[in-house]
Amino acid sequence: MSTTTPSPATGTTRDTPHAPPSGAVHGPRWVFLRLHRTPLRLALAVFALGAALTGFLRWAAWAYPEKEFDCSDGSPCSDTFLGFQSAATLLYEYMKNVSLSGLLLPVLIGAFVAGPVVARELESGLHRLVWTQSVSPARWFVSRLAIAATLAATAALAFIGVFQLGASGMLGMWNLHWMDRGVYEATGPALVAYGLLAVTVGALLGLLLRRTVAAMAAAAAVTGTVLLVAGTLRWDLVPVNTLTGPGSVEHPQPTGLPDGVKIVDWGLQNAAGQRFSPHECVPEKLIGARCPSDVTVTDWFVDFHPRAHFWYAQLVETGIVLVLAAAAGYAALRVLRRRHA
Amino acid sequence: MSDTAIEAAALGKRYGRRGWALRACSFRLPAGRVCAVVGPNGAGKSTLLAHAAGLLRPTEGSLTVLSTSPAEARDRIAYVAQEKPLYPQLTVADTLRLGAELNPARWDGRVADRVVQEGGLDLGARVRTLSGGQRTRVALALALGKRPELMLLDEPMADLDPLARHQLMGTLMAEAVEHGTTVVMSSHIIGELADACDHLLLVSGGRVRLGGPIDDLVAAHTLVTGLAPASDLAPHTVVESRATGRGTTALIRHEGPVGDGWDAEEPSLEELLLAHLRSPDAPPLLAPDTTARQTPEVAA
Repeated sequence: MSTTTPSPATGTTRDTPHAPPSGAVHGPRWVFLRLHRTPLRLALAVFALGAALTGFLRWAAWAYPEKEFDCSDGSPCSDTFLGFQSAATLLYEYMKNVSLSGLLLPVLIGAFVAGPVVARELESGLHRLVWTQSVSPARWFVSRLAIAATLAATAALAFIGVFQLGASGMLGMWNLHWMDRGVYEATGPALVAYGLLAVTVGALLGLLLRRTVAAMAAAAAVTGTVLLVAGTLRWDLVPVNTLTGPGSVEHPQPTGLPDGVKIVDWGLQNAAGQRFSPHECVPEKLIGARCPSDVTVTDWFVDFHPRAHFWYAQLVETGIVLVLAAAAGYAALRVLRRRHA
Repeated sequence: MSDTAIEAAALGKRYGRRGWALRACSFRLPAGRVCAVVGPNGAGKSTLLAHAAGLLRPTEGSLTVLSTSPAEARDRIAYVAQEKPLYPQLTVADTLRLGAELNPARWDGRVADRVVQEGGLDLGARVRTLSGGQRTRVALALALGKRPELMLLDEPMADLDPLARHQLMGTLMAEAVEHGTTVVMSSHIIGELADACDHLLLVSGGRVRLGGPIDDLVAAHTLVTGLAPASDLAPHTVVESRATGRGTTALIRHEGPVGDGWDAEEPSLEELLLAHLRSPDAPPLLAPDTTARQTPEVAA
């Protein structure tokens, strides 16, 4: 039993029942990485390509700055870079798309976990193979969740890193603002939380639906909906700052706002502090507009989130999403234990 | 090692609207046997094996395996499901590596390698390129590599040609005999497993109708032919009787010698099984050591 015999065809050493195979990763983790080797490699390649492209465009924007041309003599007034006005324009357009693609990351993670990782095994009966080895279904499932969560968090952090590589120093310029959908997610820990939520929601839906395609679609829909709804609700989670100043019908515009704030609401108010819209209530009340009876303008007001609220919103949102992720993970474990011995 | 491989006490399993797959199923299988679980399609054979493998929870009653719950015995059981589930994208070598990774305390790579190599399989071939017989061989290699105390094989030979069936059965029996493994194999083809098995469980209508050593079961029955009506066969238990041209042919469980006027002969296993399948109202017969001894304490 203790002799070591080389296996001719594999070239590896298969020996006693108690000696583990060589390699750094073992058990269910090895199985996970081996089973999903192709999609994981593909994802890594896409990531590497994206990072290289980002680095190149950032370098090009630095190496080929926009030049001033004297075109009074009829020569072309501008240069182009790969068809764009300048390398910086190209970088901006590219980063705008990259920031939005960050929203796709949790959606893809959710679909991957729901379909190929969980539902496909149940659909094709492969759970009957793995659950009758020495690893219990619960341990098998938890180990898959753990490794998927690790990969999802790593992917989110790597994405945040790539975004920083391309857009650091550009925020606030070129219509890339810290509060924009996509940019907001790509610059803070909320994206990591969304990645983890996608993993547990995907696992839960995969267990419940047990159909690969249906589970993928449902997980993508749920994750995408949570992202969309959160993008609308997140600015209500943090109390706004309010600025007021003397205003009039002729001059309703707020003045003196700090740069780079997210304006939530603005308008006019009367001496009692009742708010109304400058164009609906004064100088004439439009039909259907809701206005206080007294529309004598004393001040303008503006509700806004300063740049400092970014971190409040990120941390509150991250906390909520992590709680949701934990709830979905717990529910998935309950479903597993209830349905399978 | 436990002396009981499987013990079921009033085991019942209901699948939602489809009704009961198993009901009031009680039996005991001593360890060390090679047992055939036979019965028609839909009789509950797969459900029974899946319970023993710890994949299903009983709706009622209980089932113990190797004197503990199937979940506790997980590392000592090997199970090959009817469809021989294997990851299609893995190579044969990686499939065996999976067995080693998921059974670190028990895995015997030499056994698994030998089973695969006896079939002339290329270790680098992907599972999706294998034929049905080759897949069965890989699935059996995975099961045998675990060095189980109890092997549960659901229709293991169903999609094999006779030659491959003979080969694989030989491999399986050699391993089982060498290590004293209890083997439980299901089949809906009566007699398919008769040569290899020494023990029988006939499952029909969700219950065990016959259970015990094959020789004992056959010896307990007599096939009689005579001119008198079947009612004259008391006190013997008549399992099935048919009016033939010259009188009556009946399969009976004899209580003492058969009376005059009856030609008696020992039935074949196939005759025995068919008679029981055609007569669902015949009382079940379980050999003494196949009867559930007590209500097992450990719920499945």
